[in-house]
Amino acid sequence: MLEIKNLHVKLEDEDREILKGLSLTVPKGEVHAIMGPNGSGKSTLAYVLAGRDGYEVTDGDILWNGESIIEMEPDERAAKGVFLAFQYPMEIPGVAGLTFLRTALNAVRKQRGEEELTTPVFLKLAKEKGAKLNIDIDMLKRPVNVGFSGGEKKRSEILQMGLLEPTLCVLDETDSGLDIDALRIVSEGVNALRSPDRAFLVITHYQRLLNYIVPDKVHVLADGRIQKTGGKELALELEKSGYAEYTNKAA
Amino acid sequence: MNVAVMKTKAEQAISESFEAAAAKLPGNAAVKERRAQAIGAFSGLGLPHRRIEEWKYTDLRANLKDVLPAAVEDKTPLTIAELLVALGPLAHVDAHRIVFVNGHHRADLSDVSEAAGMSVSTMALALSTASDESVASLASTPEGGDAVEVLNTAFMTDGAIVDIAAGASVAKPLLMVFVRAGSEANTVTVRNLITAAEGSNATVIEANVVLPGAVRDAHLNTLTEVSVGKGATLNHVKAAVDEGRSLHLSNWDVKLAADANYRGFQFSSGLGFARHGTNVLYEGEGGKLDLSGAFLARNSEHVDTTLVVDHAVPHCESRELFKGVLDDHGRGVFQGKIIVRPDAQKTDGKQMAQALMLSEDAEFDSKPELEIYADDVVCGHGTTSAQLDEDLLFYCRSRGIPEKEARALMIESFIGEALDKVEHEGLREALASYAMQWLGRSPRG
Repeated sequence: MLEIKNLHVKLEDEDREILKGLSLTVPKGEVHAIMGPNGSGKSTLAYVLAGRDGYEVTDGDILWNGESIIEMEPDERAAKGVFLAFQYPMEIPGVAGLTFLRTALNAVRKQRGEEELTTPVFLKLAKEKGAKLNIDIDMLKRPVNVGFSGGEKKRSEILQMGLLEPTLCVLDETDSGLDIDALRIVSEGVNALRSPDRAFLVITHYQRLLNYIVPDKVHVLADGRIQKTGGKELALELEKSGYAEYTNKAA
Repeated sequence: MNVAVMKTKAEQAISESFEAAAAKLPGNAAVKERRAQAIGAFSGLGLPHRRIEEWKYTDLRANLKDVLPAAVEDKTPLTIAELLVALGPLAHVDAHRIVFVNGHHRADLSDVSEAAGMSVSTMALALSTASDESVASLASTPEGGDAVEVLNTAFMTDGAIVDIAAGASVAKPLLMVFVRAGSEANTVTVRNLITAAEGSNATVIEANVVLPGAVRDAHLNTLTEVSVGKGATLNHVKAAVDEGRSLHLSNWDVKLAADANYRGFQFSSGLGFARHGTNVLYEGEGGKLDLSGAFLARNSEHVDTTLVVDHAVPHCESRELFKGVLDDHGRGVFQGKIIVRPDAQKTDGKQMAQALMLSEDAEFDSKPELEIYADDVVCGHGTTSAQLDEDLLFYCRSRGIPEKEARALMIESFIGEALDKVEHEGLREALASYAMQWLGRSPRG
């Protein structure tokens, strides 16, 4: 279970508070959506969960399975099952996708006390999981994300997620830059990973993604705090009425 | 005898070293005469220093204090097994092989018997049996050669002479191995000649390697003269891997005939103080050059890459991409001069030099020089120096890759773009393995 308790976060080199007492609980097996206007702190929340530098937690805590993760390094969190699918996945020229995936998978396995995978076993696994996302071996031999379309990049994120088998999946604006077909493939990939052992936090600006990845709960984030929580129908409401009500309230 | 005034102790010592070595250096009387002329020329030139523009960042005179005796003979025992250990990752490349230990050919370690389309012999033999006509081309310094090349003529002990037959396509690369072994600190001077005849296609590797446990102090002076014939393709890769204390002086002198395609690559790691100079001259239209490389330096290592690419004729193409990784007080120097002569219309040249700085104390001096005298050309150059990208580092770490490994992966990524220029897959992987060893990562199994 993910428990975010009264989380206050500011930028390290700026005195502006971005998250202002955010509290949220996501039990295992559930998919929660976070929706909110631009600048509400959605991406900050995603980065703080994954442990990016440059943010300072001034108050509150983040517990994953009862353990505080805010002092952990990003790779430690990954080993504990935290995964962030980036809004803008990075390109790594000169490093083949397979090399990157294998390095990451074996690093995580090592930290989890599992055996590293041999090349043939890894290749078989990568091919198998890739096929479900329309990612063939030639694409995996290319440098990570270099020259990939928006859809290819997002599919490659979901493949990483599928291989690393995280238990807390944070999807940051995964729908941005996707056409309908890509959105469907990516969503199918995500849905295939839904399980009673896994919690999902799906961050999005638009309701569209939630037609494909149907959430158990929807939270509205504005002005650094959860303003409202509801069922999946809340997303539809927001689509109609927009975020004005919440931004006004915040102002 | 020369009577020029010697400026430094080292310059004096070099001349004395020549007197001591001359009788034992290979070659007939005509060759000896040319060697004497060369050392005379050196006396006039002296060691290059920072007030000579081409050596501004690489002050050889200040850095060559103790002259090591010339390796005029060698009796160091070395087995095939030891050779393979010294070669490391390159041992896995299936290749014809000619081996030199401390600058002397070792037939027992070489195997070029089945190199169809390619004849491989040695410089020592050629110098001893040279006719009066061939002496002029063998025991000479390339036109415009500097003091280092002049010294090469004076002191060369051996090297490979490679002739690739017209029209021959040699499937397996030729690996020319220069091993340092034993406990004596020497100056090793090697001269290679590679001639790729019209329409041929081959890959030649020059490897400077060290047997583990060998003396760490060493001076090397290597000159490789390359001639690529009409329509011929030559891949020429140099890998110099050392332990941080050696002085490496190396030069490539390359001439390209019409429609020749020359792909040169220079990899180095752990060179104490190094200068790799390359001169390329286009002699016929339609020539293509790709000259690239990667250098890794840490502690107080110094690696200088200096190029002069002379577009003397029209319709030629040149590409250069050099990448350096500099840690601690490591210093990289890049000087890339592209000359486009007045007649060399339709020249297409692009150059890029990039350094990745891993420490605040690292230094990269980059000096691209374009001298363009023709008006219908496309030429560009660029140079960058940067630190590791923190966002990329976070991306890798968020995938569970620990910081040290993530940094190594990103350095691999940086060098990888240059290594991709090496078309031979096994060779490219061997160079990547050297880089990983330098990074302290075990090669991928």
